[in-house]
Order: sequence, then C-alpha cells, then structure tokens
Amino acid sequence: MSPDDPLVRRAADPITVALTVNDRPSRMTVEPRTSLADALRDELGLTGTHVACEQGVCGACTVEVDGEAVRACLLLAVQADGTEVRTVEGLAAPDEPLHPIQQAFTDHHALQCGFCTPGLVMTVHHLLAERHGVDDGEIRTVVSGHLCRCTGYQGIVDAVRHADRTWDRPIGDGSG
Amino acid sequence: MIVVRDADANSSLGARLPRFEDGRLLRGRGRFTADTPPPRCLHVAFVRSPHPHALIEDIDVTGARSASGVVSVLTAADLPHASLVDACTVPGLVKTPQPALAGERVRFVGEAVAMVLAESRALAEDAAERVEVRYTALPPVVDPEAALLLPPLDPALSSNEVYRGRRATPGLEAAFAAADHVVSGTFTTGRLTAAPMEGRACSATFDPVADTLTVRCSTQSPHLLQRKIATCLGMDVAAVRVLVDDVGGGFGQKIPASPEEIAVALAARAAGRPVLWVEDRRENLVAGPHGKAQRVELALALDGDGTFRALRCDVLGDAGAYSFNSASALIEAYLAAGLLPGAYRIPETGWQVRSVLTTKVPIAPYRGVGWTSGHTARELLIDRAARLLGRDPVDLRRQNLVRPADLPYTTPTGMTYDSGSHLATLERAAKLVDAANVVPGPTADGRYRGFGISPYVEPSGWGSAGAAESSWSFASHDSVRVEMAASGAVTAVVGTPSQGQGHTTTLAQIVASVLTCDPRRVRVVTGDTAGTPLSTAGTRASRVATVIGGALLHATERLAAKLALVAGHLLDADPADISFRDGRAVAPSGSVGLAEIATAAVVDPAVRAALPEPDLTATAFYDPPATYSNGCVAVVVEVDPGTGRVDVVDAAVVEDCGTVINPMIVDGQTLGAFAQGVGAALYEDAGYGADGSPHATSFTDYLLPTARCLPRIALEHLESPAPHTRGGIKGMGESAMIATPGAVACAVAAAVAPLGITVTHTPIHPHELVATEE
Repeated sequence: MSPDDPLVRRAADPITVALTVNDRPSRMTVEPRTSLADALRDELGLTGTHVACEQGVCGACTVEVDGEAVRACLLLAVQADGTEVRTVEGLAAPDEPLHPIQQAFTDHHALQCGFCTPGLVMTVHHLLAERHGVDDGEIRTVVSGHLCRCTGYQGIVDAVRHADRTWDRPIGDGSG
Repeated sequence: MIVVRDADANSSLGARLPRFEDGRLLRGRGRFTADTPPPRCLHVAFVRSPHPHALIEDIDVTGARSASGVVSVLTAADLPHASLVDACTVPGLVKTPQPALAGERVRFVGEAVAMVLAESRALAEDAAERVEVRYTALPPVVDPEAALLLPPLDPALSSNEVYRGRRATPGLEAAFAAADHVVSGTFTTGRLTAAPMEGRACSATFDPVADTLTVRCSTQSPHLLQRKIATCLGMDVAAVRVLVDDVGGGFGQKIPASPEEIAVALAARAAGRPVLWVEDRRENLVAGPHGKAQRVELALALDGDGTFRALRCDVLGDAGAYSFNSASALIEAYLAAGLLPGAYRIPETGWQVRSVLTTKVPIAPYRGVGWTSGHTARELLIDRAARLLGRDPVDLRRQNLVRPADLPYTTPTGMTYDSGSHLATLERAAKLVDAANVVPGPTADGRYRGFGISPYVEPSGWGSAGAAESSWSFASHDSVRVEMAASGAVTAVVGTPSQGQGHTTTLAQIVASVLTCDPRRVRVVTGDTAGTPLSTAGTRASRVATVIGGALLHATERLAAKLALVAGHLLDADPADISFRDGRAVAPSGSVGLAEIATAAVVDPAVRAALPEPDLTATAFYDPPATYSNGCVAVVVEVDPGTGRVDVVDAAVVEDCGTVINPMIVDGQTLGAFAQGVGAALYEDAGYGADGSPHATSFTDYLLPTARCLPRIALEHLESPAPHTRGGIKGMGESAMIATPGAVACAVAAAVAPLGITVTHTPIHPHELVATEE
C-alpha cells in the first residue's frame, strides 16, 4: 500500500475529488467522511440537492451518478471521484425552459413545499430515461422510494405519466 | 347556495392556475434556511438528554471545548434568559415555563442541555460526544392516567394536571335519562409528529453596533418568533428581525418558537459570530414537538329511531413535558371538546377536559389539532351505534346531519355554522365510492372489506370571532399592504409565509380579481418582519385565505379607488363612473390601462395638481367573522386477516370551502391531508416505551405513507360561499386531516367486526387485526 493510498491516510485528512457535475469538470477538497450530498451543497453550492433523513429512506437527496439514480447522503464524496454527476440544477439551465419532467410537475401540481421535489425529479428522470410507456402501478412503485409529506402523491403520479408522453427522448433498453 | 364548480372560470378567482413559485423550486433554486448560511457562521450541535426524567448534577464541557474546530460550548448557566411560556388565556391553565436549555432537570429524552458551536456541523457533533453530563435519574411519567398520581414534573406545581375544566348544557342529564339507547366507548389517538421534509432550521446574526439581531428561520410565524425572541433575550421587538424564505413543510410544528431557536439567538449574541442550526431527522423526531395523543371517552344518547339526543365526552390530553409555547397543552384536548358535535344536530352536550404533563416531547399544533382526535372518536362511536341499532352508517348520519334548513346552525358548544353542504357532501362522497354496494366482511379472496364515512366541519379562518367560538383567545392581528409601481406592476405585502400552500399564486389571484389584471402582474412579498405588515398569528389554522385574502380584497379595493381618481382625471370622467375590466379603467368617455394610470400618478404634474396625494399604496386590516368549512371523506379498505395488512382500496373527498380561489391548490391541500390522515390511522406512531424512551427515532420507525399506500382519490368541490367573510372565502387546509383518520378507522372497524375485533385507537397496528383461532 502506498502512503498516497486514501486508506492509509489519517481519517480526517482532506482529499481532493475530481468529478464532472452537470457537464462541468469540478474539483473539491473534502474530509473523507463527507457525503456526496453535503459536498455538492457546501463545496459546489448546488443547494438544490436537499438532505432530509441522511439514511437513504426519504430520497430527497437523489442525484444521478454515471446515469444511475443514487442517494447522495449514502455515497461519500470520495466515492464519486471520476464520476459524472447530474443534479436537479443540471436538468435545465436557468435561461432554458423547464425540462419536460419539471413542466409536468408544475402542470399537475406535483409539488407543494418543494423540499422533496429535486430528488423525486431526478428519480423520475432516471426512470423515464430508461423506460417508455410506464403504467400507474410502476410509477407508484418507483415513487414509493421517496417520501413527500405535502402532496399525497396523486399529482406526482399524474405528472410522471404525462412526462412519459411529452419528453421526447431516445428509446432506452427498457431494463430500468 | 351550493354551486358545483365548472372546471375553469374566466376570472382570476377560481382559475386552476399553475403556481408561480414552482419554476425555481423545480430547478433546485429554492431558498431554504440551510441553503443560506450567514458568512463566517458557526454550526450548532445540541447535547440532548438520554433520560426521560432526571436531575442534572453536573455538566463538564472541558473535553468538548478543547476539541478540534470548537469555538464555544454553552450551557444554561452561560445563557441567562427568560423562559418560553404559552400565551393561552383559558382560565385555569397552569403555566409551565420552558428554558431554551435545561439547567436543573430534564423532562424528556432529547431535551437540549448544552450546545456546541464549531466550524462545521461534523466537528460540532464530534465535540458534543465529549460533553459529560452527570444525571440523577428520576422515574419517567409515561401513562397520562398515572401522571395524575405521580409527583409533578415541576416542583413548583401541585400536580401534573395542568388543566381540568367541564361544561355542559342544562338538559344533558335529562337527555341521557330519557334516551332509548346509550352507546359509549373510549378511543385513543396515538402520538404523531408533523414530520415536515425540511426539519427545523435557524440562523442568527447579532450586530453589536446597531444592537440588533437578524434571524433566518424555517417558521410559520415570523412575527410570533420575533416577539418570543425579543422577550426571551430582553430585547425590543423592533431590534429583532426575522427572515423566512422557503419552508419545507410545517403542518403546525413550525408555529411555536422552538427552545432551540431561542438558544441559537442567545448563542449568536454570546459568541460574537453568526450561528446556524439545521436539525437532523433524529432531532426532529425526538425533540421537535409532537401532536395528538388524546384519550376520548364518549357516550351518545339516541332515540329509538336513531335520532341523536345528547353527547358527552371526557378528554384526557397527554401534553408532554411542558404546556408548549404559543398554543399550549389545550391545543388538543380543549379543541377536541369544542368540536364535539361535529356536523351533527345534537341538542345537548357536555365535556370534561383534563391535560397532564408527561416525560415526553411537548404537544404542539399538528394539522387538524384536537379536532382530529375528537372527530375520530365520535365517528367510531356513531358506527358502533349503527351496528347496535342495525342501521346503515350512511343513513344514520343522514338522519342526524345539519340540514340546509337548519342553517345558520348554532351547536350547543357555541359554534355557529354560517353555511355549508353537510348532507350534499355526504351523499356525493358515498356515491363516489359506491358505498351502497360495499358489503362489509369477507370477500371471495379471503380478505375483509369495510366502508367508512366521515362527514366533517372545520372551524376555519381564525380571527378573534372564530377563535372565540372555540372558547379560545387568539391574537390575530393581520394587516396587508398593496402597492402599484409606476410601471403598473402590483406588489402585495403580507406577514404570512408559505410552507407550500402556494400563497404567491393564490394571493395574487385575489388581488388580480379586483384590478381585473393578469395575476402574473402581482408580486406577493412576505417573509421579513422588517418589511411586512404585522401578522401576529402567522400561517396556521387554515386562516390565510380568509384573513389575508379578505384583507387583500379590502386593500386592493382601496387602491382601485385611488386609481379611479387618477383615471377620472385622465378620462375627464367622474371617478364614481369608473369600473375595471381586462386590466383597464373604463369610463363612458373611454378607457385607460393600469400602467398608464400608474405612470401618470407618479410623473404627471397635471395629476399632481388635481390630486394632492396620488399615492398608489393602500393598507387594510381584517379580522373576519367565524366561518366553517365542511365536507365528507369516504373510504373502502380491505384487511388481510392473516397478516393484518390494511389496504385503502377506494377513497373520495368531497369538500366545501366556500369560494374557491384556485381549485388546483384546494385539490393539493386535500390530497396531502388525506395522505397524512391515512398515516395517522395506519402507520405513524411516535409513541414511547414504558421506560420513557421514544420508539420513533428515524424514518425507518416513523412510517410515513408512500405512493403505494394510497389509491387514486376521487375529489369533488361544492361551494357554499361564506355569507359573512370577504369574498365568501373559507379555510380548508386541515379538513381532510380532521376527517380521514376517522373514515379509515371506521372502515377497518367495519371490516373486522365479523372477526370479533373492535377498533378503539389509532394508529391501528397490523397485529391487532390478525384473526386468532379460538
């Protein structure tokens, strides 16, 4: 083991992580114990990723890492070294129209306080990137990985069904 | 008058308008308290009691003070301050002052005893583990009945009973004596917690030059918090500024000032650097205030034909460790008793209310407050009566509900239902779930089906009159300001922040309805006590639409009158002949647009010469009369007798909140409250063990409903405009949370009745529904 190996460093020594976030190369220096969620928020200022339970239950912190929806509170920032991360800020630039999923969420009143919303939107983005023609049962199963205290989920289910039709996207492999 | 609403109206009032706030929230550009830490801020980790009840003998902070990144470690001894006290004025309620940090005694697991200020939250948590607190454990007080016999939690009190009151109509006893049937039962509602997705969060910055404190907080009541902080810190109210932007859900939990928020304010003043506290989920579950936790003993007297004659109750409320600030211990038990008759004609009622201290987190408002507990108990009892009398549960309710001819109807508890559609909503809800064809009991596939129906009344739009009808004193002093800029853009400034209710949109719709302009031209500004008119109560009690909405109608009409003066000058018309249409002031001689009027008012010397004060600002104050929403929730459930699993397989909510401002928002409030009601009935439990330890410390213990727990819910809106409030508006945010737990509990009770199982409390746990072999 080389002395440069992260495993043999003192646990608190900061480590520099290089990754791509929302298509831009990014570097951040964090304690090894820092979660990806905290690092995105505190180091890169991407506060759209919200932290609500810090144990992977609620889904509010969901982002895409190399195309997979992951809970950013359960992944250490150092584990994301070399990956491509997409957060809610990366779905549509501020000067662009809303992403079709985001548009469907507002059209169907799929959000109220908006705290769980970014994580949900990222999970739906991952779902619909891989699947076309989802039915309500499948939508409810996927959405049940997220906790929303405001909406009762009905608007969310409607929004996902609608975005499935309106988001013009390549046909995925359906394995999602 | 009941109006069935068409899908969309042309006026901005009643339009299903998507929310203006959605875009930024969907782009991840919301601004929650944790998103804007003050520059150079210190991060807080609280040291919390592991004991339900103990004396604090000693706190040794030396190890923590020397830990990496730590700037300060503070205990009660370091932070002298005035304790938090509830403002409830109900006579006989004992006050239980609560310090920001416990100094001598802890009274629940999770009570804060010290706070670490460090350069990061992680470092603060590291150091918090090194604070050594020596306790002498005292017996926990868990069971509310036993609490009456145990030594008081506060040596200054004579008993753990902080309130006992009773009231009865004169004919109560005679009605029971003459009754053909008396049905009784005791029902309990478990401890719940609001569990907003964003927990509590607060930052504070002290300015030693100006001697002012700026606080940013996830709160429903910025002006209330401002006053509490000023009182506790011995500052002038005007020297405290509270800011609030986005709030990730509140549901009542963020009405009171939290002891932690007072501690943060004290620490910022003591430390000389800004301080930020963002609670984690465990803190929110074990130290954020809880809700419900009532035992309701009921007896209903009926005639032989099923007519309700009298209802009496004995409510025992578990207040937790303190009668919590702002709403007090009575927010549950007292309000449960006040709404005892619900939507029914019951001529005689009587109640006894007791509230006791226990070694648990204090009870604070949670959506539906005490109304949920009383309502759930009453509906379960009515179903029990229906089974006893062999009556259909819908028909027995139909017989006893308030009828259109009874309105306005005054209950024996002193509430006057101003209007409503009590029978019509019952009929529609029953029809939407096809109640007539739901056969209770076993199904072909071995499950047990049951139907529950729960017609409700929600006391709404609390100003002083509405509060008085609930026998409550309530500081509700609400003003608003409406301004028009030279461009014609309108700003509405209000003191009530939104926690997801969409005020930026709905309040703009109200203002736009007067000016006949596009609601997008109206900017709603809130969330800064330095710049918004006073709202002492803040956002709670389903009051914003009624109180703030009414005030905005007043203020905008005053603005419109000023615009008419200017327009009259520009059009050479009598201002009395001016009306507004499509965003223009219209006179017989012609018309002029709002922007043109506004520009003229600001820059045209001729206007100035003709009108001494062409000032386009208007304020208004509004304290509405009492008003009552109503509606009905109906559900069908299926119970698996092998596992006790309950599935809600069909559901409908028919609601009537008078004039609807935005039906999409009403749908959202109804659906969200329905889901919370299902959680209250079947999943959520913030209970304590016999040793006083909390059972729910994470989201794997405190189970919120997910999308898989709910069917598609049918919604309908009937409209009985309030005859006496501005615009006919009533409040509705809590309605479905009042009625849904009762509907679900009644449905489960009906399903398992053939198995000999009775339902007497919520949440209903699966193991209680498993059929056992005799």
